[in-house]
Amino acid sequence: MHISTNTLFWIQQKRWLLVAFALGGILYLFVPAPEGLSDAGYHILIIILMTLILILKEPIPLPAIALQLLFWQVIIGGSTPNEVGAYFMNDAVFFIMGSLMLAVAIISQGLDKRLALGIIRLTGNRTWRIAAGFTAISALLSSFVGPHMVTAMMLPVALTLIRFTNKKGKADTNLVAALLFSIAYGATIGSIGTPSGGGRNVIMLNYWAEFGSGTMSYLEWMKMVYPMVLIEIPITILIILKTFPPELKILDTAVRKLSVNVARAGKISRKEIFSMLLFLGILTSWITLSERYGIGTIALMGVFLFIAFDLVSWEDIRQNVNWGVILLFGATISIGVQMKNTGGAAWLAEGSVNLLSGIIPNIDALRAVVSVGLSGVFSNLLSSSATVAVVGPIVLNLGGDPILLGLASVISSAFGYFTAVAAPACTIIYSSGLVRAPDFLRAGWKMAIMSIGSLLLLALLWWPLFK
Amino acid sequence: MTKKREKIDTKPLKFLTAVSSEKYSKPTLTFGSLIASVFDASMGVAYVGKKASEFHGSSVNLTRQNLTDWNIIHPGLEVLQWALKELKKLNPENEALAKIQFNPDHVYEEDGRIRVFMPDVEGKKIELVLREGELVGELRKEMQLEKYDLAIIGGSQNKRNLAHSLIQYLPGSIFVLQKFNPRKKYKLLLLVDDSTATAKSVEWGALIAEKLGWPVRTLTVSKTSRFGAGYQGAADMAKAYFDSRGIDVEQFFLTGDPVRTFVEFAGDNHIVIMGASTLNPLKQFLFGSKPIQTLKQTDVPILIVR
Repeated sequence: MHISTNTLFWIQQKRWLLVAFALGGILYLFVPAPEGLSDAGYHILIIILMTLILILKEPIPLPAIALQLLFWQVIIGGSTPNEVGAYFMNDAVFFIMGSLMLAVAIISQGLDKRLALGIIRLTGNRTWRIAAGFTAISALLSSFVGPHMVTAMMLPVALTLIRFTNKKGKADTNLVAALLFSIAYGATIGSIGTPSGGGRNVIMLNYWAEFGSGTMSYLEWMKMVYPMVLIEIPITILIILKTFPPELKILDTAVRKLSVNVARAGKISRKEIFSMLLFLGILTSWITLSERYGIGTIALMGVFLFIAFDLVSWEDIRQNVNWGVILLFGATISIGVQMKNTGGAAWLAEGSVNLLSGIIPNIDALRAVVSVGLSGVFSNLLSSSATVAVVGPIVLNLGGDPILLGLASVISSAFGYFTAVAAPACTIIYSSGLVRAPDFLRAGWKMAIMSIGSLLLLALLWWPLFK
Repeated sequence: MTKKREKIDTKPLKFLTAVSSEKYSKPTLTFGSLIASVFDASMGVAYVGKKASEFHGSSVNLTRQNLTDWNIIHPGLEVLQWALKELKKLNPENEALAKIQFNPDHVYEEDGRIRVFMPDVEGKKIELVLREGELVGELRKEMQLEKYDLAIIGGSQNKRNLAHSLIQYLPGSIFVLQKFNPRKKYKLLLLVDDSTATAKSVEWGALIAEKLGWPVRTLTVSKTSRFGAGYQGAADMAKAYFDSRGIDVEQFFLTGDPVRTFVEFAGDNHIVIMGASTLNPLKQFLFGSKPIQTLKQTDVPILIVR
């Protein structure tokens, strides 16, 4: 048999696609649905299994993974095209789309230079204060605008400081790690603080509404979760500075050079002031109007205003937004809803509870462990939003209080500290080439323990006050 | 032979050197530049970096866009900047090259890669390219796109895993510089057998030996004590070719397992040159080939000519 090199290369590159589809095919054709699971639910779980393999190994681009999720739902999942389409677009997808577009709009205003100046004025030139300032500002900002936007704005500030600190091209590696992880971990811990802090938060709000589990306003969310952000900020600073103690204790020259560099941007322009006011308007609308109009709709309205007032060009947005990811989230949410509708989610939830009931006899603790465990593990493999999209329906079928379990799941999906792929902020600092994969492990396990502890404190001492 | 030599002399060759960092890639770049000058070839330098997870691709792109506004260059471009500086040092007589300045603003994305705009140097191109993704796949795309004849890569610790993919999938010749020491005196060891690629490897070996003045040995290995007409003919042809160019050559005929004999004979002071396998791709994939096994087992630089 003659197979060309091109064909062999294709097979080698796409081997995980072939494995996923072969496994899916075998399960679909030859293995009957397990007891207690409907055929439709079984087929949806097969699609999810194939998709997880594809997401983990990425043999095809993510948008293509989204497309196969859609057509399999119709071909073997028993859904009609219109059903799949109806679940594909909702407020959570609007929000993810809007937040990616808003990030482009806001960053193109050059407000990061103002931010840099503000932080430096606040912190002075001591290294620990700068790292602490980076963590706190990243956490607070990210809780409202999302970690991707904050990291994109903060990274140039940190890298400029690092560049001005380098002596003969050699950087203090601990200083580099301390500054970059301050931004990444700060932005990550902050992203749980409000619904607009991350796509996963809005996905969960959407699931609660879709599954009839209840609703939660923007302020109610903040009331429940924000204390955890505030607890985590000082501990995160401590963890980072202990894990990566910088040799340079004072960055006076670098700070001075950065200030001069930033001062070149001149006085704040009217356009910049207007952009800030516009953004404050969006933020206020999220807080006061999101229950009525939806958080995603408000985000899209904000994008519309940025475009209408010529603050950003559509060309810029078109080039800098990864439309494939939006497609993937839409498709993942639609399969999440189908998982619930077909009983697949309930079967998995029941199976997890039965499996662990011998080890953890207390049912409430068991539900919490399953919720946190599943979300925490998956978020280090997939992105946090994809984790909530897939794990959310299972968690909401565990029984108990769906709001509290959902919150625990969302919060623990932000525990993606161990790898560079889990959180957008971690991926961004990793892509700078200045931190290595083992650095994430060095600090990540401490962050995970701290976060689990904070979540426990919240669940045991804070949440009961609102029952 | 004469016809093939004319082909090499007339067709402008293009060589691609893959670099990873200033720390590890200096010997590779030095040798790449030397070999390109031997063949009067155009030279490309490629840096293949890690690709960010597609989930956060737009956030990474947005950050990089913003970094550009702060005059912070894309990671990996600093390696290409260093490569250009190094090439200038290696070719001090090249005045046109000396005039080229690395400008991070003259960077553009096309065909899934980032290119640094570089003017031609005396009619020859120097390409500086940044790609992100899996090494072999990205080098293959670059070689196909720019029609490179040879890829020069450093010997990585991951060599044994990569050997198969490199030889099987890169569409041109490959020079893997394992444990290459620029200060060491190497001999060229040409593996001669009846494969169709032997003729071209003899020509390339002769050119290298002629320009660099390196001693040449040819080695023909047979599994049995009998050397067939094909093996004997190839060895004779190689000898005649070297003689015709006035290059002294030592010939060796050994019996044994070919790969083991190549590896033992090469020791640590030869640069091995051998032709690519002519086995069909599926057989190579399933059972390997002499070049694949040799690359896996030896620790000296090896040029596999296709």
